[in-house]
Amino acid sequence: MSITSPGVLFLVSIAAGFVGAMSGMGGGIVLIPALTLFGVNIKHAIAISIVSVIATSSGAASAYVRDGVTNLKVGMFLEMFTILGAIIGATVTLVSSDQPLFIAFGIVLLISWATLFIRKHHLTNYLQPADRFSRWLELRGSYYDHAEHKDIEYQGRRAWLGGPCMFGAGFIAGLLGIGAGALKVLILDLAMGLPPKVSTTTSNLIIGVTALAGTSIYIAAGYVDPGLVAPVIVGVVAGAFVGTRLLKRLSNHAIRQFFLVVLLALGVEMILRGLGVIA
Amino acid sequence: MKSKEHPAPASTPGLAQIKREREAHQEHEMELLVGYLLLTGVILSILLVLTGMTWEYVRSGSLHLNYLIAGMNFFQFLVDDVRAILTPALIGPRAFVNLGIAALLFTPYIRVVSSMLFFAVAEKNWKYTAFTAFVGLVLTYSLFLR
Repeated sequence: MSITSPGVLFLVSIAAGFVGAMSGMGGGIVLIPALTLFGVNIKHAIAISIVSVIATSSGAASAYVRDGVTNLKVGMFLEMFTILGAIIGATVTLVSSDQPLFIAFGIVLLISWATLFIRKHHLTNYLQPADRFSRWLELRGSYYDHAEHKDIEYQGRRAWLGGPCMFGAGFIAGLLGIGAGALKVLILDLAMGLPPKVSTTTSNLIIGVTALAGTSIYIAAGYVDPGLVAPVIVGVVAGAFVGTRLLKRLSNHAIRQFFLVVLLALGVEMILRGLGVIA
Repeated sequence: MKSKEHPAPASTPGLAQIKREREAHQEHEMELLVGYLLLTGVILSILLVLTGMTWEYVRSGSLHLNYLIAGMNFFQFLVDDVRAILTPALIGPRAFVNLGIAALLFTPYIRVVSSMLFFAVAEKNWKYTAFTAFVGLVLTYSLFLR
């Protein structure tokens, strides 16, 4: 791999963390295209990114869990599926050549991008009757909604569908070194019928453990270079920290839309590189 | 543990109420445990990595710390690193950066293990003790790979 200056890596990572938070797509999905643009080999970029995903997701999850919005049981049940997916996904990356990884990354980026525009079904009642398996798993919960000033009760459903789908999300996370939060939120929302806030925060909790499972494979294969990982972890966390706080204050959506266009361009660029259209 | 879907008979509303409140209380304790574990792990990791990077920059004027963790699994890496930190001759920027990365990797791992203990000891919820034990075992196995 080309030797990229750690100073440059640091700045790229701050930008990736920032854009990831502002667009709501997560750091890894911006970091990997950016690193490859700076000459880092895609497998090394994936390995570096997945370590930084542990940091950003654990940091965000810590606050949500203490607020009582995250559903720990839903998370811990689904982690059984995502870690297996991540281990297999990372193993596939190790044996794959570079071109398919570029294409897969571009496609996943575009799909994640599109999910941001899916109108999430906002139910008025999240206590729909559940199947026996979901009831056995005790997937009922409640949280205090600060915007609506009331307790929202909900019942997680279709765990039999959510589990296998999460294996797929874990596979993508391990394969491409990203959190795959957009896919996880979609599964929690559409398959398991959880309120949007519970979906996003629980997805965050699952991402950390999933990324660790993937990381273990990349470490064993010798792809984790601490000298390169160090500036990236610090940079992505710093960028995400600033981006998250700025996002809360912004009422203007034009800036967010600008970043979404940037991401669209990155997705197309990755696919074109994978197809060999551009070098 | 009985499912929340089947509340106690109406003749004992007091007991059902107490059970529900106890469950809610335990759930919140676990949320605090998991939340603070994650927060501590991430902050500790960032501080250690920053210390190592700053040390390297002050010493050499650059951030180049190129080296690979090759041919060892995570636990060997950790043992080597703790030894480096405890041996004055080996203390240096790399030891701090390594320890920071190790702290980061350990954060979700410890979260899983302590959740398992909480489900087993405090909640006596065997279902979820088994689920978290499975996750813990798979992670332990994969971190021992080399």
